[in-house]
Amino acid sequence: MRAALESLLRARKLDVTLAPLGPDGELTGPAYDAARVAQTGTPALDAALGGGFRRGHLSDVAGAPSSGRTTIVVRAIAAATARGDAAALVDACDTFDPASAAAQGVDLPHLLWVRGTGDAAQAVKAYSLILQAGGFGLVVLDLAGAAPAAVRQLPATTWMRLARIVEGSETAALLVGADRIARSAGGATIACETIAAGWQGTAHRARVFTGLAPAPRLIGGRRTEGGGRNADAGSGAKPPKW
Amino acid sequence: MSVPSYDDLTPGIPDVVDAETVDRLALFLQKDIHRSSRDQEVRRHSGKHPKTSCSPDLLTSCLYACLRLHALPTADSLQTANCQLLTVARDFSPRVRQASEREVLLDVSGLGRLIGPPDEIERQLARALRDARVAAGVAVAPTQTIARVQAHAATDHDAPGPWTQLSVQLLQELEALPRGLNLRERARPYETLERWGIATLGELAALPSADLSSRLGRRGIALQRLARGLDAAPFVPDADTPRFIGRLELEWPIDALEPLSFVFARLLDPLSAALERADRGAAAVRLDLRLTDRATHTRVLQLPAPMRDPRVLRTLLLLDLESHPPSAAVDIVAIELDPAPSRITQFSLLQRALPSPETLSTLTARLSALVGESRVGSPVLVDSHRPDAFAMTRYAPEGAKGAKRANGADGAGANGANGANGANGANGAKDAVLRRERRSVAVHVSVEHGRPVHVASSRRGVPYGVIVQAAGPWRASGGWWDDACRAQGRGPGDRHRNGQGAWNRDEWDVALSGGAVCRIFRDRMSERWFLEGIYD
Repeated sequence: MRAALESLLRARKLDVTLAPLGPDGELTGPAYDAARVAQTGTPALDAALGGGFRRGHLSDVAGAPSSGRTTIVVRAIAAATARGDAAALVDACDTFDPASAAAQGVDLPHLLWVRGTGDAAQAVKAYSLILQAGGFGLVVLDLAGAAPAAVRQLPATTWMRLARIVEGSETAALLVGADRIARSAGGATIACETIAAGWQGTAHRARVFTGLAPAPRLIGGRRTEGGGRNADAGSGAKPPKW
Repeated sequence: MSVPSYDDLTPGIPDVVDAETVDRLALFLQKDIHRSSRDQEVRRHSGKHPKTSCSPDLLTSCLYACLRLHALPTADSLQTANCQLLTVARDFSPRVRQASEREVLLDVSGLGRLIGPPDEIERQLARALRDARVAAGVAVAPTQTIARVQAHAATDHDAPGPWTQLSVQLLQELEALPRGLNLRERARPYETLERWGIATLGELAALPSADLSSRLGRRGIALQRLARGLDAAPFVPDADTPRFIGRLELEWPIDALEPLSFVFARLLDPLSAALERADRGAAAVRLDLRLTDRATHTRVLQLPAPMRDPRVLRTLLLLDLESHPPSAAVDIVAIELDPAPSRITQFSLLQRALPSPETLSTLTARLSALVGESRVGSPVLVDSHRPDAFAMTRYAPEGAKGAKRANGADGAGANGANGANGANGANGAKDAVLRRERRSVAVHVSVEHGRPVHVASSRRGVPYGVIVQAAGPWRASGGWWDDACRAQGRGPGDRHRNGQGAWNRDEWDVALSGGAVCRIFRDRMSERWFLEGIYD
């Protein structure tokens, strides 16, 4: 009976809900197939996510400026291009810095960069076109620079439609914003909090900025490193439910 | 100044015809004399074209046919007529050559087994031309020279006369003269022959070769060989690159994209089918729209890979026209596909499949129509110290592996050499990614003891507050040696917008009390502060 149920779930591509359980019902192994996730390039985050962002689902990364959210996204793009995936970035406010990305290991010829004009609706449309085209391993919509009011004005069905487009595909879809935007049921929400920057030296003329060490916090319903699942512990606005 | 002669400009004539062929040609030309006189007799009495029999050896020997347009059409219709000539020729033989702008030569050797004697081949070719409604003459002969001369000599209603009675002037088109030869030099041997009283091919062919060579040089010998029906060069068929052109004159002008899409579909469907039959794909698409204001709107789409899906091609054309609309309604639509060998794709079991070129082309065209052509593609680092120096290229992930090394080299040049100008320059912030402000964002910075202490801005979304940590300044300048750059660099906003102009600035990395870490700079030409970006 269980085998029949599992095969039916696999046929319906719902096998991600299957987790190997021990005799007492505890989780005994990774809940997700490694081929069905896209590594983030941040080992700690991969461990928390059970391997990475899930393909076929919409995840989001939220955080304030200098919280390390862009670093996480760029590392995910670098990991995608390193494994040969095609990656796309819809940069709503044209803030992407190719030199920084190359320093993080992004293979730039493998990255499709769409430079937006600051219009959130236009960026969402471009994002939708890329998702519909298919064939990309990772597609990122960066709305971090867009005005929060403009993002909130987008219909809630927008995100549901995007989740439907990406569902069942090999694409890991990612949203980046100052606040949590949306995610699909199988996606993850990663919250980045402002952290202390690294500095070396004492006098300002001799001091150098060494960078940020992002400390992402997983607040989606994904499997954590310890095998359990986090409750939604976010304190900000909750993403729309569907 | 001495004018180069024909002998100086041309190499020696290769002997491409053996003695047996010469004998056979002589026999053919003798028969041609008898046949021509007999044809004229038959036609005089019956008014019908005579049927001739040919010796069996000609059925298996070399045979060439020449299709020649009777009248030189206008430039517009010449292309169409030539295409029709080539189409008819290719229906009979795969070995086809465009001999001149109005002549097509085809090798019909061996066709005798399938069709019959040369006369029958000639009749079938003439019938095919009539069916295609092309006003052209046909001649079939053992050599290219004879075929071309006879096709030239034939008029709409009359067959050419005997070979020996044809005019020497017919050889003018057949001569392969060097381009450096002027008109006077071109006409000189014909004037000499006219003075000698040599007017026909028979008379020229009968002249002693040694004496002719001593008087007219190498060109005289070449002319005599042509007069004897010998070829100057072997038959080399054109490469098999048929042109894929579709043209449609509309009954009434179209001024909207939607009805135009149906016209595109009507043109592209047969063109794509022809491409498929030829096992070719379109590497480029050229669209010519003749407008009602008599202008021609031309668009050329370079495709990333050969493709022949008519729906994809139609979508690409429509998206391109959406970005570059014609200035008036469309009267005539012409589409030409540039053929290229088809793509052979070997998928890997171990590597993830990338988007297909068709998908990428359509996607890129859609995105370009949405945000602008210059805002879609892959970033490329350029070897420059200029802040935010990068270029955009066409997104082509297939070439990524090869480009990775170059990209890395460029990146090292841009980041490693440019010091503070790079995103993670001299300050060594290798673990931070900069979010650049490409629009000019002016900030108010308070400075104490040469160090910024406070940042304020009237613009929403720009970080502000007391500076709790600061590192700098790093001075960077460039472009001052170039007058054009200096003229463009009136303000940092201009530089940000167009990525050009001189720059001269002091950069600081600052941490604000609110937690944001930014890069700000003081423009030393305008003495104003700007926000370069936020580390994130």
